[in-house]
Amino acid sequence: MIRACALALLLAAAPLAQAHKASDAYLTLRVDGPAVDARIDIALRDLDRDLDLDADADDQLTWKEVRTRWADIAALARRDIHLHADGARCTPDAAPSPDTEADRPALTQHSDGAYAVLRTRWRCAAPVQALSVEYTLFANTDPTHRGIARIARADASANAPEPRLVVLSPGKGWHRFTLPALPVVAPQDAASTTPASAPPAAAAMPATPPSGPVDAVATPPAESAASTLLGFVREGVHHILIGYDHILFLLSLLLPAVWIRSVKLEPRTGLERARWVPASDLRHALTSVLKVVTAFTVAHSITLALSVLDVVDPPSRWVESIIAASVVLAALNNIWPLISEARWKLTFVFGLVHGFGFASALKDAGLAKGALAAPLVGFNVGVEIGQLCIVAAVLPLAWSLRGTRTYRGAFAAGSLAIAAVAALWLVQRAFDLSLIAG
Amino acid sequence: MARAAASLLALALTLVVAPSFGAGESALQFPARDDAIVEHLPTHVGDAAERRAARAAERAQRAALQEHPDELGLALQAARDALARGRLRGDPRELGVAQAALAPWWSRADAPPEVRLVRATVMQSQHLFQAALVELDAVLATPGAALPVRAQAELTRAGVQQVLGRFPEAEAGCRRLAGADYVALGSGVRLNALACIAELSSLQGHADSAAATLARLAGAPDVDSATTAAGVAAPGWLNLMRAELAQRRGDAAAGALFAAALKSSPDVYTQCAYADWLLDQHRAAQVVALFKGNEAADPVLLRVALAYRQLHGRGHPLTREATATLGERYDAALLRGDKSHGREQSRYELELRGDARAALRHARANWAVQHEPADALVLARAAHAAHRDDAAAPLWQFLRETGGRDARLSVGGPAAAPFLQAAAQTVARSAP
Repeated sequence: MIRACALALLLAAAPLAQAHKASDAYLTLRVDGPAVDARIDIALRDLDRDLDLDADADDQLTWKEVRTRWADIAALARRDIHLHADGARCTPDAAPSPDTEADRPALTQHSDGAYAVLRTRWRCAAPVQALSVEYTLFANTDPTHRGIARIARADASANAPEPRLVVLSPGKGWHRFTLPALPVVAPQDAASTTPASAPPAAAAMPATPPSGPVDAVATPPAESAASTLLGFVREGVHHILIGYDHILFLLSLLLPAVWIRSVKLEPRTGLERARWVPASDLRHALTSVLKVVTAFTVAHSITLALSVLDVVDPPSRWVESIIAASVVLAALNNIWPLISEARWKLTFVFGLVHGFGFASALKDAGLAKGALAAPLVGFNVGVEIGQLCIVAAVLPLAWSLRGTRTYRGAFAAGSLAIAAVAALWLVQRAFDLSLIAG
Repeated sequence: MARAAASLLALALTLVVAPSFGAGESALQFPARDDAIVEHLPTHVGDAAERRAARAAERAQRAALQEHPDELGLALQAARDALARGRLRGDPRELGVAQAALAPWWSRADAPPEVRLVRATVMQSQHLFQAALVELDAVLATPGAALPVRAQAELTRAGVQQVLGRFPEAEAGCRRLAGADYVALGSGVRLNALACIAELSSLQGHADSAAATLARLAGAPDVDSATTAAGVAAPGWLNLMRAELAQRRGDAAAGALFAAALKSSPDVYTQCAYADWLLDQHRAAQVVALFKGNEAADPVLLRVALAYRQLHGRGHPLTREATATLGERYDAALLRGDKSHGREQSRYELELRGDARAALRHARANWAVQHEPADALVLARAAHAAHRDDAAAPLWQFLRETGGRDARLSVGGPAAAPFLQAAAQTVARSAP
């Protein structure tokens, strides 16, 4: 209606009451340790405006018109998109050569037409925690352009966090964000213990030159070794206390520690029948707990070290699935005991798998090359402290209630409930579904 | 021990499929032939030679601006050309091009009034109405602003106020434009002012007399000379105004008026307005034909999808594909924080996806900002479909206060129902 009021002799500035799709580029940044695999989709329409791709000016682009200008397209992206990790500049691999498969000129379709796809691997100084993107694409030709970036870790664990979506505005220059944390680590906690304590969500920085003040923002004051160690201890405690799968595994193994399995001859049938009876000797219970806890500690320490030292590196999806399976088995073992007195053996075998789980948490918490001792020790100590907290909370209660019917009921119901929850985890982790949180 | 773990892992291997990376990314294409057409760019008007010339002129202008970015005249011309192209094609990228051309002045509080006027136009197109009003007030408060610039600011401000439903303020602006201050600008400005006043009165219960006034203005002898700089003939916008009024009055003459408007100003807004009328008349095949080969703009795609739905049903592949594409575009707009699609998104949810509650959510959010007849229509239809008649109460209240009437609210619309008729009658009775 208002646009009908374009005024004679004056501007043809009648407004657009409705809109075409605005200009967006799509960035996928997949962080893999110190490397970042970047895929950038840029609309051919936008590229044509800046680079005059339409050589014969017939208002359509042939593949040849695009392909032969690929170097210019790549150069434009290189000029206007820069990555920094934790305060240090990352460098793109050598200019794409059309001959290699990974760098072949490629197109893709988005909802409003064809886009050029640029694929580049960036190398950063250390495993990436906080990523900064300097984005000035089309800043001088279309300031309403936006880059829609998906940032994720190259981690395929079944319950990996959703990739982070960030809208890059070319006028703003630097955009900084921490990476999505591991499944069981809350983002703000991951950030607080990583070397660069960054704001948890995307934060646009004022435009700054690449080597200027932004480094001052991104680089933390030098931390002492002690505070680094303490940071990893805290990370370890945190990981086990909010890692419900580890807690439920331990709980399933601790609940029967205040009981012993007694075999009784059924007088009527003449058959032997086993049942749980309250332990009369506290020492027995404590020994049982000690065995379980020690087995768990030794086992997960072994695999934690192997994994962090890159000796063994099983895919996290399988690890997470088997951890869930271990919880199911431990809980069911309480209802239908296969292993009663030698639960520490069961604990040991599955403790190995839990170690791999801890390792991926530790790796994602950020490890600089060559400085593995402190994180390894600190994190492990943290896990032990967290574990002892659980024992300290559960054991006195279990001991005092061990003879009651309440405990017997809670034991059976609790074990079944744990088995059910863990079975759901198992299904969703193994088949990459999302049914419940965990 | 590692071996124990490894054997467990091997067991898991047999159970678990390999994780898939990159879900959600669109597939890569490697065209096999050099002469494959990979993209159609916005077309320029005319035959091959004229198109080439137009493109060359655009390039030359861009190059000149790059050379002399501080030359205000050059920058203003580039910005105005971009807005004209954007208007013709319905392309918001051109808003960015206009902004880029004026970059040296864009964020300056003391920008010249000409720049502020362009800035207001861009903001208004982005539905940033309040910000646009601030700019326009500033232009009109600048003592030295050239008369044509003031006149355009006055008219644009009236337009924004009309969208916001502030009819008295809008009318005051148009009356100033029709007055002695602007008489030096000639009959073209006066025509705009009188048409503006007539349209505003049509929105306040005087549809019949307004229709007569607009018809008289369209028949005036000097109307053909009242042509804008972009080549939009005055009869184009005047006929569009008359067509939209006829549509609100339920007058079958609307079709011919839309067709006439389209003939002299074939821009996306006019096309979409005509398409909406055709859809209400169940003439979907004509909508498809109208946009054939030119479906790029979001509002166009919506009308095409609605036409497919009318022709083939919601489950037809054509409808589904257009609906899916629209959904992706709205998602992209949402990501960039663009909330200007509310009216269209409400129709998308209601008429294409069948989600009345989502439609109502968009319609209400849209009504909270803008009060055009089309905004009223989507709110009434969404509220009715969602069985939330109470949600349309602010609309009926607004119509009672302004005296507005719209035939589509009582008959004709696909979601029209007895309740709408009753409500419209109530409104009609309470109108002065």
